[in-house]
Amino acid sequence: MIALAQAIVNGLLAGATLAVPAIAFTTIFAVLRFANFAVAGFATLGAYGGWVENTALGVPAVPALAGACLAGGVAAVAVDDAALRGLRRRLRPGEAALAPAIASVAATLLLENVARFLFGNDPRGYNLPVYRDWHLGALAVGPQQLADAAIALVAMAALFLFLGFTRAGRTMRAVADNPGLAALKGIDAVRVGRIATFAAGALAGLGGMLIGFDTSLDPLLGFRVMLSVFAAAVVGGLGSIPGAVAGAFIVGVGEEMATLVVDPAYRTAVGFAAILVVLSLRPAGLFGVRGT
Amino acid sequence: MLDYLVQLSSFAAITALMALGLDLMWGLGGMANLGLAGSAAVGAYTAALLGVKLGVAWPLAWVAAGLVAAGSGAVLAGVTARLRGDYLAIVTLGFAEVVQLVASNEIWLTGGTGGIPGVPAPWRGSLRGIAFDAAFAALAWALVLAAALLLARLGASPFGRVLRAIREDETVAAVAGKRVLGFKVRAFAAGSALVGLAGALGAALEGFVSPDNFAVLLTLTVVLALSAGGPGGTWGALLGAVLVTALTEGTRFVADALPALSAVQAAALRQGMIALALILILHLRPAGIVPERPRAIPKEAR
Amino acid sequence: MKHGLTRRAALLGGLALPAVAPSLARAAEPIPIGTLLPLTGAGGAYGPSMAKVAKAVTDEINAGGGVLGRPLGLFTEDDETNPDSGVKAAHKLIDINHVVAICGTWASAVTTAVAPVCWQSKTMLFTVSGADSITKLPHHGYIIRTQPNSHLQALRVADFIAARGAKSFFSLSAQTPFAHDVYTQMTAEFAKKGGKALGDIIYDASKTSFRTEVEKAVAAKPDLIFLNAYAPDLGILLRNIYQAGFSGPRFTPGYAATPKVIASLPKPVTDGLLSYAPSPDPGSPGYKRVKEILGVEPDPYSCQVYDHVSLAALAMAQGKAATSQAIHDNVRAVGDEKGVPVTDAVAGLKAIAAGHAINYSGASGPCKFDAIGDILGCKFRFDLVKNGKSTLLSIS
Repeated sequence: MIALAQAIVNGLLAGATLAVPAIAFTTIFAVLRFANFAVAGFATLGAYGGWVENTALGVPAVPALAGACLAGGVAAVAVDDAALRGLRRRLRPGEAALAPAIASVAATLLLENVARFLFGNDPRGYNLPVYRDWHLGALAVGPQQLADAAIALVAMAALFLFLGFTRAGRTMRAVADNPGLAALKGIDAVRVGRIATFAAGALAGLGGMLIGFDTSLDPLLGFRVMLSVFAAAVVGGLGSIPGAVAGAFIVGVGEEMATLVVDPAYRTAVGFAAILVVLSLRPAGLFGVRGT
Repeated sequence: MLDYLVQLSSFAAITALMALGLDLMWGLGGMANLGLAGSAAVGAYTAALLGVKLGVAWPLAWVAAGLVAAGSGAVLAGVTARLRGDYLAIVTLGFAEVVQLVASNEIWLTGGTGGIPGVPAPWRGSLRGIAFDAAFAALAWALVLAAALLLARLGASPFGRVLRAIREDETVAAVAGKRVLGFKVRAFAAGSALVGLAGALGAALEGFVSPDNFAVLLTLTVVLALSAGGPGGTWGALLGAVLVTALTEGTRFVADALPALSAVQAAALRQGMIALALILILHLRPAGIVPERPRAIPKEAR
Repeated sequence: MKHGLTRRAALLGGLALPAVAPSLARAAEPIPIGTLLPLTGAGGAYGPSMAKVAKAVTDEINAGGGVLGRPLGLFTEDDETNPDSGVKAAHKLIDINHVVAICGTWASAVTTAVAPVCWQSKTMLFTVSGADSITKLPHHGYIIRTQPNSHLQALRVADFIAARGAKSFFSLSAQTPFAHDVYTQMTAEFAKKGGKALGDIIYDASKTSFRTEVEKAVAAKPDLIFLNAYAPDLGILLRNIYQAGFSGPRFTPGYAATPKVIASLPKPVTDGLLSYAPSPDPGSPGYKRVKEILGVEPDPYSCQVYDHVSLAALAMAQGKAATSQAIHDNVRAVGDEKGVPVTDAVAGLKAIAAGHAINYSGASGPCKFDAIGDILGCKFRFDLVKNGKSTLLSIS
């Protein structure tokens, strides 16, 4: 029973961190209608951006998250402008956006190797103290994991405020809800796309750095969490931000609870079984709209 | 030099066979199956286990590899039948991950991460050196050509036309009275069979299988080969496979010419070049090098 | 007319060259030697240092006059930690570059896939892979492994734990070809010393948190936790173990606890971490040399690749032929007990040129191999991390 509660706590904390890049993935899907797999690369570059600020410039780790956001955002806009937008523009109306999605996979490989070229493969760590777990009754909770989850929640709240209460945010939602109508109203789709891409890249970068807090940093950081991130977005329903959050918690808790019943080596497999169950009940994910 | 090219052509043939399998599922049927590495692993392990543990002759082992992969593909298609596009892509990606985990952890069956060495190949005992390599390459390409011809005919057949109709609009196809699920499952099974056969060929060529052979990167290579070559057009898959093999291996020589860089920088540059080249191809030839020809609307579909 | 003349002159020159100066012509031609390393992919933490060391030792040999009057020409390929890529790269090294040996293969799967390519083309393969099965392949003497096999490691590790006074241990292992064997062999050896193995969890090394796995290990209340890990996952495990409040000793292979991993972690997390690695005698000049090349305490694989290149060079000199066959036939002869002790390739090459038998003992220890290519009874060094720095405890 305690083991179950502990697994749920661990899963929720892991899910909060996972939610940040999952939101990034789903936001791009909502506004630009394609799966940008390069989110993994934005997370890696963001983590390195924050690392440079933290270790070379001596900024404490939490404020250095701004560097992660900047690096992730800039990488996202650069990749989109140079490699992806041109492919999106060529799509016929209603055509599945495969070409940009495939190009984004190549872009992930490119970004991984940009990081490798600049920083090498050696594991890097942030200048961040480490704390023993707090014990709340029989449950153990890591202060850093709590802090990570809190930062993730703040980032999510910031995104909600941005989407709900700023002009740019409302425009983004208009484009996401109905691109045709938005175009008729004279909304500059390229500009909105850039803002959305930057915001998503910044979130991915932030998520990358949060993951780096608990692990160490190397060029494969984004790639390692990629599957779980995409899975979270899919479970929640592609294009739905609340869905991505819910999906991240489901994947996080599912994988942790799995260790109670099966060999921990099969954690990922159980995570996918959970996804399959959700999708067989709701083929477009929890919050997804049928047909997207 | 010749030996090297012959060897690479065998690897290119294996990629081509997988790209053809994907072309059937994705190019024709519009189903983005990213579980190719999983199907390849199923085929490779089937052939390896039959050959090494039971001494089954290679032709039989390869047929079995195709059949078992087809079976797993059919089950996967049945389970994911209601999923579309990106959802299907990610669930199939998960399938490949699960197959790799099973191969790594069920040591009693698969030998675990140490893999299975000594997988038999046609003529391995009787031919040596380049003679063996050339015979293998010829056999592999003969299979690729046979598969390509079959696929080209399939594409023009009523079955292919229904698949394309499902690709364009599933609802319309269903309304037109086509049993969509049945067509999807058959396309998935046939495509997976080709991928599984390719897996068996790979196991025979290397004489070895291990979970590491079936990482996500394998799927990406095939997807990129097909996108570069041109999905839906059969022959594009072949050209794309040759191109991707030439690209990944040719860049090694570029890295050799850059002694000023450290080894890890040269390796990063090489992979960066591969990624960049593929992005460029997608931009310059968005429908692939051999685009799918628009077909006349057949009488019975009117 | 002029054109014809030059062509004729060139033709004549071309014909004359081999006849007049065969030794000169060949003197300029380097002896190709290859390394096949994990520069990208899961083994990426190791390849770059190995490449650096291989390059440095090649340069040293060339500065010292080369082998048989010819310099070594080094070709470095990336195996991407993937057997398919490894095989293609091995074909390139063998068929295009005509290397006399391939050094440094790391992942067991890559080595197993590349091995037949090597023995069929009669090319020597020097490896650091740990799976016991590798040297049992039908390789006809074309594989040399400098990494002690898992059985030898398991025995020494269990003895060390017992000698440290631990009565029980729990093992957390990445899924490797030797993970299971190491645990069962350790358990048996540890039982002989009166200790008890409390369990083994195999984890998925591609994950970013092992809290649940670690909590299970800590809940078993072991005296010591054995981490059969690699560099990327070790950092996460150590953090999780610290967070879980475990303060007892943690013990791990030296190839996991690289100086770079230790430097990347907060000091409290690594404090008291024990590690083991195959080792030369204390104060070995070869080990010091690798330390100079890398600028940090070297990891075991970098030491081993230093010995791979050195052994290949020495064996060719010993066999008086710049061929793979010469390496195959003489790789054991350069570790002659009765020979002059040497600790680097340049000194060894000089001694061989002077007609002496040599006894090479390199950066990873004495290089003596049994009939199937496994390293014989090497010594181990045990290190303890204190205040973020690895310090030598003992060599035995």
